[in-house]
Amino acid sequence: MITLKEIIQKLNLEVMSASGDFDREIRGGYVSDLLSDVIANSKKGNIWITLQTHPNIVAVATLKELAGIIIVNKRKPEDETLKKAEQENIPVMVTELSAFEIVGRLYELGIGRATENAKEV
Amino acid sequence: MILNEVKEILEAEVIIGSDNLKIEVKIGCAADSMSDILAFAKPGALLLTGLTNLQVVYTSEISDIKAICFVRGKKPDEKVIKLAKSKNLPMLMTHLPMFESCGRLYANGLIGIGYLDIKKKNG
Amino acid sequence: MAEDKKYTKIQELTYELKVENVMTKKVVTVSPQKTIYKLRNILHTKRISGTPVVDKGKLIGIISIEDFMKCLAKGEINIPIEERMTKKVRTLYADEPLVHAVRKFDEYGFGRFPVIERGKGKLVGIITKGDIIKGLLKKLEIDYHKEEIHRYRASHIFEDIVADRTTLTFHYNVVGEDFNRAGESASGLKRTLSRLGIQPDSVRRAAIAAYEAEMNIVVFTEGGKLTVSVETHRIKIEASDSGPGIPDIEQAMQPGFSTAPERIRELGFGAGMGLLNIKNCADKMNLTSKVGKGTHLEAIIYLNQR
Repeated sequence: MITLKEIIQKLNLEVMSASGDFDREIRGGYVSDLLSDVIANSKKGNIWITLQTHPNIVAVATLKELAGIIIVNKRKPEDETLKKAEQENIPVMVTELSAFEIVGRLYELGIGRATENAKEV
Repeated sequence: MILNEVKEILEAEVIIGSDNLKIEVKIGCAADSMSDILAFAKPGALLLTGLTNLQVVYTSEISDIKAICFVRGKKPDEKVIKLAKSKNLPMLMTHLPMFESCGRLYANGLIGIGYLDIKKKNG
Repeated sequence: MAEDKKYTKIQELTYELKVENVMTKKVVTVSPQKTIYKLRNILHTKRISGTPVVDKGKLIGIISIEDFMKCLAKGEINIPIEERMTKKVRTLYADEPLVHAVRKFDEYGFGRFPVIERGKGKLVGIITKGDIIKGLLKKLEIDYHKEEIHRYRASHIFEDIVADRTTLTFHYNVVGEDFNRAGESASGLKRTLSRLGIQPDSVRRAAIAAYEAEMNIVVFTEGGKLTVSVETHRIKIEASDSGPGIPDIEQAMQPGFSTAPERIRELGFGAGMGLLNIKNCADKMNLTSKVGKGTHLEAIIYLNQR
């Protein structure tokens, strides 16, 4: 079991919006920059990796009850996005790594291995 | 990592280039945004994407992407395949989601885009 | 990278070329009633290591120098060929792509395959690994020359023209909202600049800038023009449209800022990085816009002069 707090420490993520549940267990992840795809396929409790920064990402994360959003390639979320994230208790983090790299490291930590995904389905 | 290993690791189907699986991809790049691919992809990269339109092919050509692997079971239509063929761009398709695809490739030693740059920065 | 390119080029050619393009058409054959002893003379004088056995125009077997050696060892040199030939002959069709031949050589380890005409079963040629290599090299040479001529022509244009200042200009018409063609202009530009012999890094930067500019025209306007002019010291890319214009350029340059609708984002565009990408690729960028009138973008990439 690994929590969001541990992930942030281990992967050196910069927390942009700190309201939300950081002790929550993270079981799986989802990577996509297409909102419709995230709405259709992500699962409750997933950590979402994207490069999108506009306020809609918070709406999607709230809708799907995602555990948090990691924005990649060192892109800064818009102010409006952070304001919404705080209201909705969605943790937002930033990394300078690329999506491929950060996912590789999350996977190394044991997040989202196929067996776990299979259990969820 | 050669394309054939990518195929095995991702349980992928080859759409174009079944006789070209020995070419080497040096870096992994996962994105559904064209601008990000253009901004960050290094020549010789393998692109993992959920987009299947014509512009993926153009973007790959412009960015010197070596091969594309479509994730989430998405298959491009004939128009896209034809364009990619004309540009000699190998294309694979995996049923796996993007997260699992990146994770498996990374675990098997394919590095990401940021890796070399960050290494450079840290000396 | 050049090595890899050659490799893929050969692979590509094995699909493009057919067996009949590289096979030897004048086939030496033997009849089944001839003796093994006579076979020796044929193989020796024709300098071949095996030959198809043909009876009344029909391929019925194949016999090689290895078969001959075995007979020699056993002292069977006076028996007819048909008693010692391989009867189950693996063949290739004349119209098969060369890649099939390559696969079969790998699979069976044979030295040669008779080639027959599809449907008729008539022997039309024979193919060895050597034929494949020769055929590929010949084709590679022809293609290489073609590309060399392109490059030569282009990179010498500047030297051949006598003028105080020479500018090559390329015009591309960009159609608004046409996602069947969006990307074509930048793709064409990339090929053109490569052929001019410009350094790959500069080509890439120019192509990325042009592509983003092209996409902006496609996404936000009813159409416009992309004009690229090349001089020995620089590439200038100009994109102009008579579209809606940008109200606040400074805001538009912010990473992540975008007015693109969700429909466009779902296509992978409109993430608010385009103008920034252009700026990062160019040595100089200038953007002017009037709401309701249109937008003009200019990006310059300086070339290292050699």
